[in-house]
Amino acid sequence: MGLMAFMEIMGTSNIAIVAAFFIGLMTALSPCPLATNITAIAYTSKRIHNSKHTLIVGFLYTFGRMFSYTLIASLIVWFGLSTQTISFFLQKYGERLLGPLLLIIGMFMLGFIKLSFFKGSSGLNKLKEKLAKRGYLGSFLLGVVFALAFCPFSAVLFFGMLIPLALRAGDALIVPSVFAFATGLPVIIFSFILVYGVSKLSSILNKVQLFDKWMRRIVGVIFILIGIYYISLLF
Amino acid sequence: MKWFIFFGVIFIIIITGCTKNTEFSEDCVEGVTCNVLDVNQSFSVDRSSDVEKIEVIHFHGTNQCFSCRTVGAFAEKTVNTYYTGLLDSGKMTFASINTELPENKDLAIKYGVSGSSLWIGTYINGEFHKEENVNVWYKVNDEDDYLLYLKGVLDKRLAGDLS
Repeated sequence: MGLMAFMEIMGTSNIAIVAAFFIGLMTALSPCPLATNITAIAYTSKRIHNSKHTLIVGFLYTFGRMFSYTLIASLIVWFGLSTQTISFFLQKYGERLLGPLLLIIGMFMLGFIKLSFFKGSSGLNKLKEKLAKRGYLGSFLLGVVFALAFCPFSAVLFFGMLIPLALRAGDALIVPSVFAFATGLPVIIFSFILVYGVSKLSSILNKVQLFDKWMRRIVGVIFILIGIYYISLLF
Repeated sequence: MKWFIFFGVIFIIIITGCTKNTEFSEDCVEGVTCNVLDVNQSFSVDRSSDVEKIEVIHFHGTNQCFSCRTVGAFAEKTVNTYYTGLLDSGKMTFASINTELPENKDLAIKYGVSGSSLWIGTYINGEFHKEENVNVWYKVNDEDDYLLYLKGVLDKRLAGDLS
């Protein structure tokens, strides 16, 4: 049995969460989510010497995706919004906004753009600053935004396969969450590999600081390249 | 490590809250006026003489992904290969519809299209039944498999079998 035949059997399973998981895996490997996941993997590896940080960032990114997918599914399943309206809106604007956004984030990471949003003195601003420095807030928001950027094929998988599944199950929480977990699974797996592989290598070489410095630059470049990829899809 | 255990427990809680796959009629949610038959619904009575027309429609946007183009191209090839007589008589039609063009808006609403997709509309006994076929997306890497599969589905619809 071929891989696609297996994915078809699992993706059309009568057990909703099994089907959701395999539709999510298909989504994770389709071009647009794959590009966003590569960006997220690069983001999680920004502070590769800190294994705990890398894993948390990987999971928070997945929770960000979970938030968006659950929100969309809730609007359709529980609030009766039209799948067609939401789908066309996100396909039209999600993809258009993602490219420029990644480009700006990449330039920010490389130090071409400097922001001073977090220089306040209030408690909230200090918390924001703390979260932003650790990248926790960023990874969650990255997941939220990336999940909203639907390309034609990822829209087929989400709106054509997952949403009907959620509607049949009458569930807008568990089915989309399982789907989201599967879409973020490559990021989590690569986070593990990075934590137990690259971090050890950098420690053995005793060049943690140098690794971190270059990692940040590479991440910035990856953001810019993926941003350009998304912008090129519009033409 | 504590964080990992925490997330692990959350995930186990999520997946063990098993959901039941119940029957659902799509038109109740979408507000579409025509009848929608769930593809899982059993409906195997032979009503071949009642089938008036079958529409095979590939909906897509202006920017198409590789798989989206393939789904449409293979569907067109299936119809042109196996149903030339029906195409000539008008009993079967194939159309590739860009949903972003204003003139196609009504058709997209009629079918309840949410993006790139393959739909089969069957006019039977004075009624209209529509269905989105998502299985074709798993067959875009195997043309023969795709053509045979879609032929099987269309043969059933022509025989009045809407299961």
